[in-house]
Amino acid sequence: MLFLRHNLIATTYPLRSLTRRLSSKVPFDINDTDDKYKELNTMYSDMFTPSNPSHQPHTSEPAKKARTLSEEIAELNNEIDSVYHVNKPGISAEELESHVKSPGKFILKSISNNPYYNLALENYLFRNTPLKATGNGEPFTSQRLLFYINRPCAVIGKNQTVWQEVYLHELEKRGYDLLRRLSGGGTVIHDLGNVNYSYITSRNQFDSSFFNKLIIRWLLNYDPSLPIELNKRGDILFDQKKCSGSAYKIASGKAYHHGTMLINSDLNKFHGLLKPHTKEGVHWETPSVGSVRSDISTIGLDSADDFIDICVDGFQTEFGDKTGERVPVYLCDEVTSVNEDIRTTMETLQSDAWKYRSGPKFNVKFDESGAVIHVEKGIITYSNMQDLVGMPFKSIWQDAIVRQSIYTGKF
Amino acid sequence: MLSVAAISRIAVRTAPRAAPLRLFLRCQSSSAVQNHLNKDELPFKFSAAGPKLVKYTKEHEWLAMHADGTTFLGITDYAAAALGDATYIELPEEGTAVEASDSIGSVESVKSASEVYVPVAGEIIEGNTELEASPQLINSDPMGKGWIAKLKIDEKANQAALDELFSLEQYEEFLKSDE
Repeated sequence: MLFLRHNLIATTYPLRSLTRRLSSKVPFDINDTDDKYKELNTMYSDMFTPSNPSHQPHTSEPAKKARTLSEEIAELNNEIDSVYHVNKPGISAEELESHVKSPGKFILKSISNNPYYNLALENYLFRNTPLKATGNGEPFTSQRLLFYINRPCAVIGKNQTVWQEVYLHELEKRGYDLLRRLSGGGTVIHDLGNVNYSYITSRNQFDSSFFNKLIIRWLLNYDPSLPIELNKRGDILFDQKKCSGSAYKIASGKAYHHGTMLINSDLNKFHGLLKPHTKEGVHWETPSVGSVRSDISTIGLDSADDFIDICVDGFQTEFGDKTGERVPVYLCDEVTSVNEDIRTTMETLQSDAWKYRSGPKFNVKFDESGAVIHVEKGIITYSNMQDLVGMPFKSIWQDAIVRQSIYTGKF
Repeated sequence: MLSVAAISRIAVRTAPRAAPLRLFLRCQSSSAVQNHLNKDELPFKFSAAGPKLVKYTKEHEWLAMHADGTTFLGITDYAAAALGDATYIELPEEGTAVEASDSIGSVESVKSASEVYVPVAGEIIEGNTELEASPQLINSDPMGKGWIAKLKIDEKANQAALDELFSLEQYEEFLKSDE
């Protein structure tokens, strides 16, 4: 019963999470008949997770006694349903629209791993969150939090140059999608061991370090021994290595802070996907936004769900209203929780026009062949190899002969 | 959605309440920044008489319209200070027809992409290409050398939209009062 109660919020990998939660959160085996251990265990739980109501069996005891057997069974069924997503696909398109466009706080959890859907859902949520609850002068109260986990992909910033950031061929070979996101910042690699969070607020309340400070506080409440801190760029470090990267978007009086959190990704698999800062014999001239290369680390949690649960609980405590009404959590999936708006953004994100032909102009020179190439909107506008002019920059790397005549190294 | 049991748990919840959020940008609004058009630069000096009107938006853009309809657009001192060091300015394309409240570009600073809107309808004559090599002009002179777009607008057709924009006094008041 005790461990089931942690999982009121549906989880993506329920069984693994449940067993791990039991083994990781409890200092030693609980024997419910042994009052000494029960009390000790409660004390530990209360100390480390003061905000989590499910850690307070003593205070909830009277309410529990008042329940009938059928209520108990109904509750158990609900909890099992939510753990297994039985009868709980994502909310419908109508529900999504209604929640998003009405004022108020809530949490969305995407159960899709499709990065195009997740980024489009994020954009839909951001664009359609109402700025004012009731006319001018009222403070913004519609803060929202979204979680999603993407299948393997590389995500570049809005104003970056694809070819400066990633080895496209390598991404393709290893089955990683490439996406250009709508926010600023540098390139990150996502996989199923990485959780993305997105906090939406008003432009006026936006502070780039606000949400990561909260995450650090929540994580330290959960486990005070976690070696986590904020660096000067507002990113979260684990053991002095970056475990989380952040980027921001500001539009229409609103802002979001989204970030990655490496939970249990196999970091070795990320090697060789991102390009080093400088490559001998290749010279770039561009106003593009660069990426800051950092040593990375996963954070010391057992599962993505642990992280999400900690943040959900923290958010509900931080943003819960005075009446005790819980900030609701809704699930989204790409089959039911989708609409034209989201589909259109997905198409844009998938298009070559957005991925390869938007972003800053650039000039690149290759010592090996002496080739000089100027590119605007993905198209070669000037080159000393005249045949290239007018071609998409992307296409010259798809033709082995052209490619070899320009550069024989890994590009 | 919530089971009876879940509701009863809420009722006994004793979690501490959050401290109120503090506004991050507002603290920078009152002190040094002026939000005046720089009289020594093109957006002001484009015509001998200077701009016919200078207006401000809720999205923190400024707009300076000259008698012939030539209009410069940029972001205010306040916005530039709040965004921090600009690293890349996405400029609008020459010849683009724009409608009121279209996004015409963006300012990237410290990993944040901030959209820039045009509050009137018109046509983009040029984007300020100086910003390609020197995005920091957005911070050093946002209301002068750091102008983002030059447009041609029809004053009469835009009268209603122009009337809705803030004067400097209204904008300053908005900065003080806006939550």
